[in-house]
Amino acid sequence: MTADVGRESADAETPAIIDTDVHNTMGDLIPYLPRQWHDTWNAQHIGAPGMWRNPRGVSRRDADTPSGGAPASDPWFLLTDHLDRFDIDYAILTGPGGIRLTPDPDYLNAMVSAYNNAFVDRWLGVSDRLKGSIMVNGNDPAAAATEIRRHADHPDMVQVIMSSTTLMPLGHRHYHPIYQAAAEAGLPVAIHPGAEGSGMAYPPTPAGYPTSYIEWHNILPINYMTQVNSLVCEGVFEKFPTLVVVGLEGGLAWLPHLMWRMNKNYKALRDTVPWLKQLPSEYIRQHIRLSTQPIEEPEQPGHLRSILEMMSAEQTVVFSSDYPHWDNDNPRMTLRQIDPGMRQRIMAGTAAELYGLHHKPDPALRRQPTEQVLTDRGLAEVGHVE
Amino acid sequence: MTGAAEVRRHHVGPTSEIVAGAPKLVSVDGHEVGVFRVGEQFLAWRNVCPHHAAPVCRGTVAGTNLPSKVHEYLPGRDGEILQCPWHGWEFDLLTGEHLAAGSRARLRRYPVEVIDEQVYLTLPANRA
Repeated sequence: MTADVGRESADAETPAIIDTDVHNTMGDLIPYLPRQWHDTWNAQHIGAPGMWRNPRGVSRRDADTPSGGAPASDPWFLLTDHLDRFDIDYAILTGPGGIRLTPDPDYLNAMVSAYNNAFVDRWLGVSDRLKGSIMVNGNDPAAAATEIRRHADHPDMVQVIMSSTTLMPLGHRHYHPIYQAAAEAGLPVAIHPGAEGSGMAYPPTPAGYPTSYIEWHNILPINYMTQVNSLVCEGVFEKFPTLVVVGLEGGLAWLPHLMWRMNKNYKALRDTVPWLKQLPSEYIRQHIRLSTQPIEEPEQPGHLRSILEMMSAEQTVVFSSDYPHWDNDNPRMTLRQIDPGMRQRIMAGTAAELYGLHHKPDPALRRQPTEQVLTDRGLAEVGHVE
Repeated sequence: MTGAAEVRRHHVGPTSEIVAGAPKLVSVDGHEVGVFRVGEQFLAWRNVCPHHAAPVCRGTVAGTNLPSKVHEYLPGRDGEILQCPWHGWEFDLLTGEHLAAGSRARLRRYPVEVIDEQVYLTLPANRA
């Protein structure tokens, strides 16, 4: 596939921007949780507390709702404050992204079920532009598969989402029931970072615990490298040939290195993974998608263009903003200096295929933006960074 | 631009209206500008972060940890630092400079005058 594929779909009928990582809040789950878990919800929320703290908090400070609610707690405000403001056609809602592992799977399973039920009630009826992710407790694959099947027929649930933090690398057969259920439903499986090193997870690096939030956040991609490597080497994509795994918020620029190292070793050690029928990089191109945010910002923007070419980004990369979190990317500032065909693929084309969003939403679903929309003139004055 | 620059003044408001930590946002020539009080000084910055074009003036006015020795923390400069509400980039409210070493980013400044307890932005003459 080349960047040429972008041209045929870059028209007025197809989506121009699909945002693949927008974090709606969970809201109060008490009405959806069995009574035995109310105390645990009040004490633990999504599981263990985070081990590292951003002193400025996780959410943006300008995204509270007009009534003073938490950022991304109100679907109608999210539509105007984010989608309309930046001409985003569709947002894939990802909730908290995943759960933090605590010892009791019964609580975690009950909590994700309650969340999914609350999410369907509170968010999916609001607008056709908001699509959902079935959140699962990946550490309990049988329960996760059940949860996937419970929502698989909902037309607006477009993927499965789970934490990238696991107790074994994701290619391990332990997790295959999740892939079986997702493949049967025709849904991609997204992983999301944030729980690395917290609760009963292992340290977020094989060398142990980072000290500060910046040190922890810098090194999150090491886990993504582990997961992509494992999924390919363990033959997950031979066993589930229609499965796509989406690595959200884990960075991009490490992928060429991993592809090259895997290919080099495959040429010498093929017989140790005889189920692989093509180069590891080919499985990655066909089955792995990475989201853009937080986009790498090299000193020379051209360096990022080169890396995008190396990783066939027109096929492997999808745009994400991470609204309303602190490290979110502005769609108008992201990847402005790349080939227009490749940009169209990244901003919408690949995600449209992945999530079956082939047509623009009804224009009547647009609302008036509540914020000043930055003009091209304003952007031209500020932008020196990709 | 031609001829002698005739300065325009944009009235922001009385000094009493602008308190430390709570900038007044005004619209000037199609741009939003935040007018800040730091001590007895008044400073005005365009409400666009040079990083991702966020409304930087809606951030938090705070202090920072000053450059220090390894494993030493020196909190200081309270009320002189603006944290962008998105990524938390810290800008010096007195100079507009981004505090991170190696960064050339800075806020866009508007000159401020105080006349008879009234705050004005001074702007270039109208384009002919």
